[in-house]
Amino acid sequence: MKGNVIKYARDNIDTDVIIPGTYLKIHDYAELATHAMEGLDPDFHSKVKEGDFILSGKNFGCGSSREHAPIALSHSGIKAVLALSFARIFYRNSVDGAFLLPIEIKQDTYDGISDSDEIEIDVSKNEIKNITKNQTYKMKPFSEIIGKIIAAGGLFKYKPDQD
Amino acid sequence: MGKTLFEKIWESHIVVVEKQNNPSLIYIDRHLVHEVTSPQAFEGLRMNNRKVRRPDLTIATMDHNVPTTDRSLPILDQTSSSSVQIKTLEKNCKDFGIKLFDINSPNQGIVHVIGPQLGITLPGSTIVCGDSHTSTHGAFGALALGIGTSDVEHVLASQTMWLEKPKPFEIRVEGKRKNPHAVTAKDIILSIIKNIGTGGGTGTVIEYRGEGIADLSMEQRMTICNMSIEAGARAGLIAPDEKTFDYLRDREYTPKNYESLVDSWRDDLKTDSDAKFEKEFTLHIDDIAPQVSWGTNPGMTCNVTDSIPSPGEFSNGDENQKRGAEKALEYMALEPGTLVEDIKIDRVFIGSCTNARLEDLIEASKVIRGQKISSHVQAMVVPGSQMVKKQAEEMGLDKIFIDANFEWREAGCSMCLGMNPDILSPGERCASTSNRNFEGRQGAGGQTHLVSPVMAAAAAIHGHFVDVRKMDLS
Repeated sequence: MKGNVIKYARDNIDTDVIIPGTYLKIHDYAELATHAMEGLDPDFHSKVKEGDFILSGKNFGCGSSREHAPIALSHSGIKAVLALSFARIFYRNSVDGAFLLPIEIKQDTYDGISDSDEIEIDVSKNEIKNITKNQTYKMKPFSEIIGKIIAAGGLFKYKPDQD
Repeated sequence: MGKTLFEKIWESHIVVVEKQNNPSLIYIDRHLVHEVTSPQAFEGLRMNNRKVRRPDLTIATMDHNVPTTDRSLPILDQTSSSSVQIKTLEKNCKDFGIKLFDINSPNQGIVHVIGPQLGITLPGSTIVCGDSHTSTHGAFGALALGIGTSDVEHVLASQTMWLEKPKPFEIRVEGKRKNPHAVTAKDIILSIIKNIGTGGGTGTVIEYRGEGIADLSMEQRMTICNMSIEAGARAGLIAPDEKTFDYLRDREYTPKNYESLVDSWRDDLKTDSDAKFEKEFTLHIDDIAPQVSWGTNPGMTCNVTDSIPSPGEFSNGDENQKRGAEKALEYMALEPGTLVEDIKIDRVFIGSCTNARLEDLIEASKVIRGQKISSHVQAMVVPGSQMVKKQAEEMGLDKIFIDANFEWREAGCSMCLGMNPDILSPGERCASTSNRNFEGRQGAGGQTHLVSPVMAAAAAIHGHFVDVRKMDLS
């Protein structure tokens, strides 16, 4: 996966700013995506491109269990969120619905990558390459079950006895 | 080595151990469903020709976007998206054979208020719901988890879910509050989150223990467990005791063999004395003050007698925390150094799964009895369930609130999350008994201060926050 980074240099990006409650009634995902990150960054929809990544601090996706949050990001084109840590419900929602990859990063990765840097993520090597700055970082590997659900393409495609 | 209560519940619900001490397939005893996070899950079942595996263990209500105004009137816009979600849940429950407490049911209410009230929430059980505040049910010694829509579908189809085992986290609450009417369960949980931070419980199940927890009523314990998610925890729970067993006795759905269940719960549902927690925190409550949040997450909270901290004071040198505090103060239109008691408010919301049970309304009513709310304040009470509303009306509480110029509404989530028309206008400042002060949570541009029901009621009367310890609340 290769793309550009949209960096939000703060902790605790919550699901209410990722997709405000008033839009939870929208069932059309393309329309939902037009409101992604609206609570935090009204320019997000106009600047995000297919294949982009979000980079942020600790406790990304805290708050509500709304699966609309990873759905809105995914349908905006976001392929992965890189964060120092994730709230667990957001993390599971991202993986279970195969909406996007929640990638836990270390401090050096967070500090090293700037807004709009181009990066390449290689999950098989647990590696993130910063093409703009010519640096490479190690991502924290997925746990066994999360790796399996991701490899299967989501919770409903995952079969415990498949391996 | 002994086991924690959480580990005992976990182990008794494992269907498949994926790998020792690793993710497991967990059996779910109760699945609570509401109108907002379920439509796609039912649609998924239909597309794959699946049934609901245990409709008898699945219960639904509508709470998130229902109107809280007069229900004898039809919802004006039948084509509105809220109306569609409500009708969709009715159809899904009918098609899949699920018990539904609909908008006109006397049992309708916020899903986390009605579960315990109906005796559906039971000690030692696993409970899930497509809502993060499912942690509320942990007050009864249940392992109660908030889940997203994919997992809702998985539980509907299989009555199980895959889960990585969280770590047990002990939070001890020690001491006695000098004025338990003014310093409430809400002030205890806000103090905990202020100390451990909004990510302090990530990846854990918190067990709340100690004298300060044992002293709390069941409704107060629900307020504590409800906000476990605001500390990032997967769940929060409290070992059941006689208060727990008494609360659930003789409810509409209390099991017929209840007394024999209680006998086994008394023996089994406790943490062994030699059990080990992976994380520990202790809060001493003898001298804690009423709490008021000033920022845009529940960890940004201070004493009512404090002044607003500067980003530097708040962040302790952490650059992201500092930037977060700067953004929060800008959004909240607050200056560091301002006394919390000098903050004027425009709106008051007494409601939500955190603080809209009968005791909350009783305590708030003591503050306002015989008084009128400040002329520049608009205030509303949204009872947590129709049952709470009815009980409150039988006690005459509705009259106390209405006489003070509060609006007295029908049950629902209402202004806690701003899905229905109950929202703040941009720039409006609200004293709210709910659980989240995120940007835009109660309406775009709305400024939320999280407080207890007593503090919210006092703020309505005075038009600003006050030290409720100075009031006569006996």
